[in-house]
Amino acid sequence: MQIQSALEVRQMMLRDGVIMAYNGEISDELMVTLAEILRNRFKTMGDNQKRARSVFSIFMEQVQNMIWHAKSGDRSGGMIMIADKDDQVTLICGNRVTKDQAQELRLTLETLAAASKESIRQMYRDGMSKSAEHEGPGAGLGLLQIARNSSTPLSFAFSDAGENVVEYFLAAHIV
Amino acid sequence: MQPFILEATDRTPRIEIIPELGRIALSGESFPEDAATFYGPVIDAASTMVAQAKTLAIEFSLIYVNSSSMKALYRLFEVMDERRASGECSTEIIWTHESDDDVMQELGEDFKDRFPELSFKILATE
Repeated sequence: MQIQSALEVRQMMLRDGVIMAYNGEISDELMVTLAEILRNRFKTMGDNQKRARSVFSIFMEQVQNMIWHAKSGDRSGGMIMIADKDDQVTLICGNRVTKDQAQELRLTLETLAAASKESIRQMYRDGMSKSAEHEGPGAGLGLLQIARNSSTPLSFAFSDAGENVVEYFLAAHIV
Repeated sequence: MQPFILEATDRTPRIEIIPELGRIALSGESFPEDAATFYGPVIDAASTMVAQAKTLAIEFSLIYVNSSSMKALYRLFEVMDERRASGECSTEIIWTHESDDDVMQELGEDFKDRFPELSFKILATE
């Protein structure tokens, strides 16, 4: 890699107001460390505490999803970017999933994107009742929790990256 | 049965299960690395106590609960609700949240919605 690439990445991040960016393998310990840095940043900015809590919660759920996806594939890790610009905080995570996972995620996310806050809440309540049957650690509630904390509907993107590999991106916004 | 007490850590709540008071209390953060491993003994101790209790005074004052902890919290409510259904135990649950924390307030309301027959108060603290 040329130093010019790093300069370009840095310029892009400054332009978009990126306050934290990480790419690579992620562990549980690293997740907690980064989450605390984020939380403290928003707490000490005299920002409203609600925003600090939402950022923390969304970040944690996004990265826990990422770690969970990594466990079921051979590719661990992914990318996390958090930007704070024009009074809007954006949290984006990206990681690789299988085609089947991508298909399932797309269906869930399309449903969530079209749902009202009230119906997301109802889905969450129904998910609570079914939590014992869910095989994942998050009881199937992680995405719903992100959707509840996000001020605007979640946005997402999928991009083919190989035979059975799809890059999956999820963005949440807090205003 | 001896009291079961876990001190809070940065990512797990303080937990008190005190049989002679019929008390179960959880306060603090809940995002353990492995929720099933962390909450397994808690659910066991709570179930043992609840099975013999005549009165239960339950307190939750949580700050952030990750989705992995929800399975365990939901199970805890099920245990209490099953005991209530036996008609042999009076149960009171107090769920407190910081006054500007509508996420935790809503989570309390969600549990209340799922377990409508449990006596359930949601209180805001400063």
